[in-house]
Amino acid sequence: MTTASSTYQRRPTVARRLARSEHAVGWAFVTPVTVLIGIFGLLPIGWSLLLSFQKSDLLTPETPWVGLSNYHKLMHDSAFATSVQHTVVYTVIFVPATMLVGMLIAVALNRKVRGISIYRTAAYVTMAVSTINEAIIFMWLFEPSFGVVNSALAKVGIPQQLWLSSTSEALYVIVIMTVWGWTGFAVVIYLAALQGVPQDLLDAAAIDGAKPLKAFRTITLPLLSPASLFLAIWLSINALQLFDEVYLSTRGGPLGSTTVVVYYVYEQAFQEFNAGYAAALAYVLFMVILIATFIQFRVGRRFVHYNR
Amino acid sequence: MTTGTETAALGASVPSAPGLEPEDTRRRLRRPSPWHLVLIPVSALLLVPLVWMLVTSLETTTETHQFPPVLWPHHPQWHNYSQAVHAAPFFRFMLNSTFVDVVTDVTNLDICSIAGYAFARLRFFGSGLLFGLLMASLMVPFQVTMFPEFLIVKWFGVHVWTQLGIDHLGALVVPNLATALGVFFLRQFFLTIPVELEEAARIDGTSRLGVLFKIVMPLSLPALSTLAALTFLDSWNSFLWPLIVVTSENHMTLPVGLTTFQGAHDTQWGLLMAANTLSLLPMLVVFFAAQRYFVRSVASTGLKG
Amino acid sequence: MARPRVVAVLAAGALSLGLAGCGGGSGSSSGATSITVWNGWVDQEGKAFAGLVQAYEKSHPDVNVNVLQVNQDYALQKVSTAVRGGSPPDISYLYGSWAPNIATVPSLVDLTSTVKKPSVKWSDFYPGERKVATVGTKVVGIPALVDNLAIVYNKKLFAKAGVSPPSAGWTWDDFRAAAKKLTDPGTKQFGWSMPANDSEDTVWHWEAMLWEAGGQILNADNTKAAFDSPQGLQAMTMLRDMAVTDKSVYLDTTNSKYADLFNAGKIAMLITGPWDLSGFHVDDGVQIMPSFAGSSAGHQTIAGPDNWVVFDNGTARRTAALDFLTWLTAPAQVKTFSLETGDLPTRASVAQNAKVTQQMNAKLPGVKTFIDNLSNVKNARPQIPEYPKISLALSNAIVAVMLGKLDPQAALDQAAAATNAALAGD
Repeated sequence: MTTASSTYQRRPTVARRLARSEHAVGWAFVTPVTVLIGIFGLLPIGWSLLLSFQKSDLLTPETPWVGLSNYHKLMHDSAFATSVQHTVVYTVIFVPATMLVGMLIAVALNRKVRGISIYRTAAYVTMAVSTINEAIIFMWLFEPSFGVVNSALAKVGIPQQLWLSSTSEALYVIVIMTVWGWTGFAVVIYLAALQGVPQDLLDAAAIDGAKPLKAFRTITLPLLSPASLFLAIWLSINALQLFDEVYLSTRGGPLGSTTVVVYYVYEQAFQEFNAGYAAALAYVLFMVILIATFIQFRVGRRFVHYNR
Repeated sequence: MTTGTETAALGASVPSAPGLEPEDTRRRLRRPSPWHLVLIPVSALLLVPLVWMLVTSLETTTETHQFPPVLWPHHPQWHNYSQAVHAAPFFRFMLNSTFVDVVTDVTNLDICSIAGYAFARLRFFGSGLLFGLLMASLMVPFQVTMFPEFLIVKWFGVHVWTQLGIDHLGALVVPNLATALGVFFLRQFFLTIPVELEEAARIDGTSRLGVLFKIVMPLSLPALSTLAALTFLDSWNSFLWPLIVVTSENHMTLPVGLTTFQGAHDTQWGLLMAANTLSLLPMLVVFFAAQRYFVRSVASTGLKG
Repeated sequence: MARPRVVAVLAAGALSLGLAGCGGGSGSSSGATSITVWNGWVDQEGKAFAGLVQAYEKSHPDVNVNVLQVNQDYALQKVSTAVRGGSPPDISYLYGSWAPNIATVPSLVDLTSTVKKPSVKWSDFYPGERKVATVGTKVVGIPALVDNLAIVYNKKLFAKAGVSPPSAGWTWDDFRAAAKKLTDPGTKQFGWSMPANDSEDTVWHWEAMLWEAGGQILNADNTKAAFDSPQGLQAMTMLRDMAVTDKSVYLDTTNSKYADLFNAGKIAMLITGPWDLSGFHVDDGVQIMPSFAGSSAGHQTIAGPDNWVVFDNGTARRTAALDFLTWLTAPAQVKTFSLETGDLPTRASVAQNAKVTQQMNAKLPGVKTFIDNLSNVKNARPQIPEYPKISLALSNAIVAVMLGKLDPQAALDQAAAATNAALAGD
């Protein structure tokens, strides 16, 4: 602290010292966001915790207290276990795939080429187009008898695949669908981060005779690491809460093979009218996401390169 | 009216940008870059849904239900657009959406910048725990939290100000004034800015807020404009919350209003896609406005030293 | 800085927007009573409904009817939040399958005494509709819409294959034989398309078959599965024979492609409802459901009636809502609505009016078969809160059989076990 010695000599009041301390400034800075998110984000979460200890049919105001029985039930619920498995498989493939594709496209877009803004807009537009369009297009692309994908594969001798009609393939079609849908997001984030990579560092490396790939690995990649951590966490949070694409295409089928956790939560709450149980399921998911995020931050600390 | 203020708001929040490319690179641009060979197919792939939407928006209902899909409508149905605008109070929806999005965009940028800066640079008591708590707000599926949130908003409407309650635009604005995503995103970005730059100013006696607004934020234009674009997009497409909170057509936002074209059994795809295309336009405007700053290199603004 | 001023201007804008929308909502003590109606009707239906509302308001200047269109896919999320949050609409259109759950809501108005009034002519509604509107002894809704399943076929494909078109006397064996002849792997043409997603779309097709075979879904007091019977096996085996043995069925796993493929001449027969007719552009014919040879249950079909339900928002609004609803569902208005939309009349007296049905059929060829088919609705799905669980168990069984993953008996046993567990409150 640069001001430490002078403060010591003048012995200011506690209030003044507090006002100057980082504690006070820090808290002053985060108070607005804490109040807003506290009321509209965290309070509902705490509230739904209470809901998870109740039996609720979604409609009646009487919600008797049932203690931990919702949680006991979910431990023996094999459908829930399966949905967790689907969610994990989905997330483990979706997150790295999206980051990789996004990074490659962003690097390609990060240059001074004429019309580059049109290309960048193309990437952004993928996010703007609604999920329903995306779902409809993929349902046709991967249609088993008439879809473009199968007719292309047939040309190279691969037999007809059932895709969304297959219990073993449907989840992977959803992976492809969502990677496509999120690519624009990853591109935009990486593009922003790439602006922080000083060109002169890369030029210097080139003069030193470093191959472009090596320069990318030793200079660009570490400088992109904060953005990568952000993407890894944000994509994981979203992947673990996958819902829209499943709802709009397979409704969890065929035979539950694309039933991911949030779809199961939805099914319990809005089809089977077990709102209390759904809240318990969501809470378990919440804990899983919380732990996964914590681990990502921890691991990130070792790999992420910050300027501080 | 609000559309006008939207550009004004964006203009006010960022200083005008100087020319983007230095002279020498401009000269280099004369010969087409080989990169187009990569960029064109990639963009084409990314644009398929948009093109599909545009094509569908010009089709008759018969054509939208054809297999194989019609690649180009025989007689482009331009009137789908005028019909979409007249079938529902389209401009009302757009006005509502614009209002909600512009307000939340501006507040998000400010509130999240300040908080993101604190989490990136200041060591204060409980910061790690608080950051974790804020992040937690992103981790519970909305299907579960929407009912409590509904009751909270209702309470605000009854006890604080009617305009914040159910079926008012305030109920769409206030819960979204700041998001943990924005805080997290900006924190990550601020951490990449060399701290030495700030230290010089700190020694000169500049306050923390001064450092944030005079040094950190100008250096973060790519991140801020990205966040602006992302927040706008998120809010523009937000569906379930407005659906639940709004109970009169007057206060519907675009995504909710557009469901007017989707019946239980038959969807008027042509109209729906025409309306979708129109609703995309403001997003593209925002993106073009923001994207000039996407490319402002931190390195080129005097960081080299 | 310009920003604060911008925000102030916008806030003022919000205020004016807010005030502009203050018309609807609570009923007032003085003058007109305002009631709110939520429905999912768009396009033609939306226009017809708006016309009726206008007519009602004209003859009842003391009542304002505010109509809000709610996307039916999300209606339950909106309605349940509003109901539990204490701000329900006065009248809402709801799927019939939600009736048992809605019945438990305290603010729901019990219509038992209302429908006893002679002016309502309750018995004029079809028995299938009344069953769905009744939970236990309580009448929870008034029929808003009714439909049913029948065969819709592509006349050209039948002629081209030299197969005689479906007749009213068809059995499932006839149906199967025709589907097989109309299937051609070379041109990727299928005889039939069946929904195969994990939802009620799949299940109700099979339930009609179950009833045609003479089976029942549950036992008489709704305590045990009854579909794991020889009749259930017969219905399930028919699906297996067609989907797995003959491969004559296009399995629509996302239930989103059958209409387009039917229009493209890739599917010869569908079993579907009247709502699809206006979307078909091939030369199509409509025929009632097949029966099972040797079964006396005949050519039954299944109806999916939806209801208008009333929530209590105080005496004035409740009275107004009941009056509006009684008027809306009276024969004259049912007739107007059906003529304008092509939706099947919810009342038998309207459906038996030859002038009405002829006029409807002229506008929408084939719809008359669907109207007449309403008399083939003999059974209804059990109106119990556990039904969604039973439906899920059945959809799993049906899809597993059609995908060739389980044989019919094993699938039925599995579904029956799940059903019995659900009914036992597990």
